[in-house]
Amino acid sequence: MSQIAIRVDELSKRYMIGRTVHGTLREQIAGLLQLGGGSRQEGFWALKDLSFVIPRGTAVGIVGRNGAGKSTLLKLLSRITYPTRGRMEIHGRVASLLEVGTGFHPELTGRENIFLNGTILGMTRHEVRRRMDAIVEFSGVSRFLDTPVKHYSNGMYVRLAFSVAAHLEPEILIVDEVLAVGDAEFQAKCLGKMDSVAREGRTVLLVSHNMGALRRLCTAGMVLDKGRLIAQDTMERCIEAYSGVRKAYLTRGIEDRTDRTGTGEVVFSRVDVLSNGEPRALFRAGEELEFVFHLRKKTTGVDRQVLVWFQVMKDEQVMFTGNSELYGWLEFSAAEHRVSCTIPRLPLFSGRYQVRIFVMVDGRRSDYLEDALEFQVDDAHFFPSGMTPKEKVGVLIDQSWRIE
Amino acid sequence: MASPPLIIDANDTRTRLNLGELLRYRDLFLVLVYRDYRVRYAQTLLGLAWAFLQPTATLLIFSIVFGKAVGIDTGAVPYPLFAVCGMAVWSYFAYVLSQSGTSIIGAQEMIKKIYFPRLIIPLSKAAVGFIDFGITTLLILLLMLYYRIAPSPNAVFLLLFAGMGIVAALAVGIWMSALTVRYRDFQHVVPFLVQVGLYATPVAYPAALVTDVVPRWAAVLYYLNPMAGVTEGFRWAVLGTAPPTGLSYVSLAITSLLLVGGLFYFRSVERTMADIV
Repeated sequence: MSQIAIRVDELSKRYMIGRTVHGTLREQIAGLLQLGGGSRQEGFWALKDLSFVIPRGTAVGIVGRNGAGKSTLLKLLSRITYPTRGRMEIHGRVASLLEVGTGFHPELTGRENIFLNGTILGMTRHEVRRRMDAIVEFSGVSRFLDTPVKHYSNGMYVRLAFSVAAHLEPEILIVDEVLAVGDAEFQAKCLGKMDSVAREGRTVLLVSHNMGALRRLCTAGMVLDKGRLIAQDTMERCIEAYSGVRKAYLTRGIEDRTDRTGTGEVVFSRVDVLSNGEPRALFRAGEELEFVFHLRKKTTGVDRQVLVWFQVMKDEQVMFTGNSELYGWLEFSAAEHRVSCTIPRLPLFSGRYQVRIFVMVDGRRSDYLEDALEFQVDDAHFFPSGMTPKEKVGVLIDQSWRIE
Repeated sequence: MASPPLIIDANDTRTRLNLGELLRYRDLFLVLVYRDYRVRYAQTLLGLAWAFLQPTATLLIFSIVFGKAVGIDTGAVPYPLFAVCGMAVWSYFAYVLSQSGTSIIGAQEMIKKIYFPRLIIPLSKAAVGFIDFGITTLLILLLMLYYRIAPSPNAVFLLLFAGMGIVAALAVGIWMSALTVRYRDFQHVVPFLVQVGLYATPVAYPAALVTDVVPRWAAVLYYLNPMAGVTEGFRWAVLGTAPPTGLSYVSLAITSLLLVGGLFYFRSVERTMADIV
């Protein structure tokens, strides 16, 4: 049998943008009448000239920023979409898990949905029947098996859905970020299951922002950036390369960044995070923090209703958000404005944080940047005792205690 | 056992029907059909009774309007029985057509997340329609009992014409499902076809009523409607009314053309379905 699981040659995928892709007859006819003038093919390359080989039995972790092409690659490999150019060769039965519970129907019972989801994922009814007991046991929802899933709690729903997927026995398993669902205990169970799949010599392709999971599960890695494969190496080196990519974005001035999306009517020209009016590399939890956004209007004309929104991230998870909408719209009257947001007591644990920023104009996204800022926090001074909670989860919360 | 590798090459633009793949996914087909049956009647108070109510009401109106008021001549056959035979095949066709038209768009959540031969979706709609077909067939039997009319000896051809009806519904359904994904306009075309088709098809009246009074070319045009031949043939098989004429071959030919063309068209649109749906 072939020692190669997947071979990809100069794979590219272009998506059409800027006009309705599913078109109407009117547009089609109008296009025909334009005779040549309208043959301009616009579009954006979600993936460009990817070539790689994945040997059988490897667990490969794929990392990259949002929009780097990770999901497109998984969609191509799982045949959901067709490449614009290039060629791929897949040896063995593929099961792709881009979502948990694909096809689940709320009116159907747990058991019926196991059949539905199982056959959608490529099992035969016979295979589902044979694994039914194992699936039910893994999910822990056996008592509700004959209840319509619309009565399930979100947690039960996810557990059942993942259990079906976990009992697929493909030669190649393609997984997108599904580890981010369910409670911590169930997540650990899922990771364990994936680990054993990888150890059984099957090929696993995994996209995740959870570096811990990637380190644990994957031996090899790939880094995508702007639709190109920029590294293929061990997982550890790929994670390093990926953080290098992110740094490169961070050190560039906001004004010069091209990795932004939105209509561009109002854009960020500069973003700072300050304490007492001073930019710093290290902030203390509990001190006042000010986010300052410099915005520039690119179009002339009427005043715009603007809102600024940011997300403070750690390990690709949102720790808290700030949103000017909570305090009403901002009137954008001049060509440039300085918008600031003060956090009276910074509630973050020690660590490195990145900030995503958005500006919306009249309800449409005008500018969006990932990794707009990065800063470091030291949490030793939030509580009067100088101690911090042992469980480093979420954010720090002011609290008062009393004994009577 | 090593199966041959799957090769996907963007330069290879040939469209393949790949019917063997459909066969491998037959379990998904069965489960989807089961889901649609279950969901359709889940949570409705009257459940299956709805499936009876609808054709019975239509039949009543037809009998009053066309049978009594217009007084359409159906020979020795009582009008309600005449009409219900036409309705059996037509309502199946109409159901499959309207269901498969929007079926791909309705399944977009699945289509964007997993691969399976998309043809399974309109195919499953054709099978879901069997339930209505069965119910109107039951209605035919009840009326035959009521009027004490014995089945005609032509009944051996029943399956042939029912089969032709299924193929015709599938053929047009496949076209509509692919066209609706490509051009949203077809969402409006399907209800229009269903509405016009009811009168353009010899459901409430015998085809001869039209073909006897129009020139030959117009009669051929009339039979370009695949359901014209099916309806006439089905009724003849059940009741022994006017036998199908040579014009039925026009319907048969167009049905075959539509089916083959539809399969190829669907497969060619299939590649981009997840991107444009």
